[in-house]
Amino acid sequence: MAHYNFKKITVVPPAKDFVDIVLSKTQRKTPTVVHKHYKISRIRTFYMRKVKFTQQTFHDKLTQILTDFPKLEDVHPFYADLMNVLYDKDHYKLALGQINTARHLIDNVSKDYCRLLKYGDSLYRCKQLKKAAMGRMCTIMKRQKQSLEYLEQVRQHLSRLPSIDPNTRTLLICGFPNVGKSSFINKITRADVEVQPYAFTTKSLYVGHTDYKYLRWQVIDTPGILDHSLEERNTIEMQAITALAHLRAAVLYVMDPSEQCGYSIEQQIELFNNIKPLFVNKPLLICTNKVDVIRLEDLPTEKAEQFKVFEESGIPLLSMSTLTEEGVMDVKIQACEKLLQYRIDTKIKGKKVNDVMNRLHVAMPAKRDNKERPPCIPESVQSLKKTMDTDVKSKKKSLRDLEIEEGDEYTVDLRKHWNLPNEEEKYDIIPEIWQGHNVADFIDPDIMKKLDELEKEEEMREQAGYYDNESEEEDDEMKEIRKTARKIREKRNIIMLESKEKRRVEKPKLPRKKMSTDKMNRELGALGIEMDSDEDTHLNQMRSRSKSRKALKRKREESMDVDKPRSRSRSVSKAPRDQSGVRDAKMARKVKTIGRKAQVPRNREAKKGEGDRVILNMKPKHLFAGKRKGGKTDRR
Amino acid sequence: MRLEKCYFCSSTVYPGHGIQFVRNDCKIFRFCRSKCHKAFKKKRNPRKAKWTKAFRKAAGKELAVDPSLEFEKRRNVPVKYNRELWQTTFKAMKRIEEIRIKRQNQFILNRLKKGKELRKEADVKEVETNIHLIKAPTGRVKTLEKKMVQVIQEEDDDDMEEV
Repeated sequence: MAHYNFKKITVVPPAKDFVDIVLSKTQRKTPTVVHKHYKISRIRTFYMRKVKFTQQTFHDKLTQILTDFPKLEDVHPFYADLMNVLYDKDHYKLALGQINTARHLIDNVSKDYCRLLKYGDSLYRCKQLKKAAMGRMCTIMKRQKQSLEYLEQVRQHLSRLPSIDPNTRTLLICGFPNVGKSSFINKITRADVEVQPYAFTTKSLYVGHTDYKYLRWQVIDTPGILDHSLEERNTIEMQAITALAHLRAAVLYVMDPSEQCGYSIEQQIELFNNIKPLFVNKPLLICTNKVDVIRLEDLPTEKAEQFKVFEESGIPLLSMSTLTEEGVMDVKIQACEKLLQYRIDTKIKGKKVNDVMNRLHVAMPAKRDNKERPPCIPESVQSLKKTMDTDVKSKKKSLRDLEIEEGDEYTVDLRKHWNLPNEEEKYDIIPEIWQGHNVADFIDPDIMKKLDELEKEEEMREQAGYYDNESEEEDDEMKEIRKTARKIREKRNIIMLESKEKRRVEKPKLPRKKMSTDKMNRELGALGIEMDSDEDTHLNQMRSRSKSRKALKRKREESMDVDKPRSRSRSVSKAPRDQSGVRDAKMARKVKTIGRKAQVPRNREAKKGEGDRVILNMKPKHLFAGKRKGGKTDRR
Repeated sequence: MRLEKCYFCSSTVYPGHGIQFVRNDCKIFRFCRSKCHKAFKKKRNPRKAKWTKAFRKAAGKELAVDPSLEFEKRRNVPVKYNRELWQTTFKAMKRIEEIRIKRQNQFILNRLKKGKELRKEADVKEVETNIHLIKAPTGRVKTLEKKMVQVIQEEDDDDMEEV
């Protein structure tokens, strides 16, 4: 019912935030772009939409608030009264009324400005109108700041009220402050109400739940009530009074005969008499608490006499001590019984009962004859029962017994029940792994047979010379050949490296130094050529100024003949270029093919020769025009 | 406790090492280390990864079919413990291991013999074709000269002695 919704009221934002929320929502949910050159109708609809949207959002949010907050007329009178006590009915209604008017005003503003917007003739004018409309709506909201704050506080407090069901079985505990009401509720329910030695520790109503006869019972703890007139009561006491007034519950009036609460017995009885009108139509119980301090019997006679009044009026008087828990359960049981009885009585007196009663019928079968008919138990079951009764211990000693016997030194013996052909081997340590092999993979009853076969085979192989690995001794010749082959390979690698070095042109190279005669002698000597030391070889002739060079004799061609023209002869001291450095015919052919192949790339580019570096078109248009689709400029 | 074989490289997986992967068809793949596991996840074929035993056996680089390899076989029916049997098995295991290793080494040596022959032939051919790199056609071999010089010297000595 109604009390459940108190936790589901929407949060009421403060005025500033409210405005912010609505405006940002408008910003997000409506189109944002508009230009001067749009059609005027489009501009008008654009701004009208904004105004209407803001109005709609305000309206929705305010409606939400108004519907969520409980209407005091619609709730149970207990809650209505409680809210009045706590929040002041007038203030509450006023705040909600103001919100309502604000909503109405915002609607009106929006209507007016939409009407004006219909006739806006420029973007600027429409924009100003929209600004004005939104501004007015926001000011209206800002004026509601106080109401919104108050409503937010009300909401927070409402959501924290204990959920009291006004219609179910309830026990209400009341009395002076410090008599022991909260201790009592702590004892019978799981509620954890604060108990302190000062008065008015409990400042509001607290609910606990307890069970009796498979039913749920609410127990309500109230703040203490003091003895003065209704008008002088403060909010805290008023809550207790409200509860007393509206809830149909069993009332437990708790008294403290030891006067430890600070009030005498007379005062407590005075208060009782004052609030007696509230107990009309409610089952009532008087409980005297703190009997561990002083018992009713031990009270001096004057005080004891006052309690007689209750006995006369037929109100049950019970004693209990919440400290020692003596009599607490009794009180609870009595109270519950009384309330149950009362409720049943009221129900029977009412009209609804008849509907239920008409549908119920209890059948009581009458006895047919006087024959005895006891329950029938079969024989087997009876014998089984007998065997179970006699405590015969089984002969077998269980493992658990063994465990208990051995105590600390007990270890589970898993091998005890192994069924092996040879019983002594049960507790052997079995190897599982050897040198990277699983022993279990080799286990075979025929393994010795197979091993014998294998050994035989092995012998045969050895005899056949399978394991003869003598490499033939290489004769000297072979050794020489190997050595020279190695030298050849080394020399070849050196030549390759040298040629790579030569080709790798990184720095400008200086021309070769003159090869000295010693070096040349050495190199040729390595190849096996001995230089004969003749005097008139070129090498041994030192070039000095003093010595004049003899004219070198050259081989004369047949062209020295007079008949042949001189122009046809060529000097043969220099070898023709296509023959210099060429060793043999094979190399000559290779040279020719290399020469031909070198022409191919040039011919493909239609160059006249190796010296042709002409570029016809330095800046072709297709590479220098267009946007950057063709790639970066360095890659075009 | 059992030593398993890695699915990828066929090395032994000791307890506490590696990862086991169980596929939805209940086939178990054991891996010795993350290298094999990752290769498997990349769907590589162990028969094509040169460093695995599977490749080596399939490519004939190692002994694959041999009676000494038939002894180690996973048996699904366990045999009841019998001390004598276990002891004989142990001795047999050692001997089998010896024989297996011997045969494997021989197999590899046989395989490598061919390479020796080829290298010998290559050397001879090399000398025949490329001798010009270290010896000019007209050059004389120095060592032979040295020997000749030695022989002459000895003769001289002999002559000296005689005289």
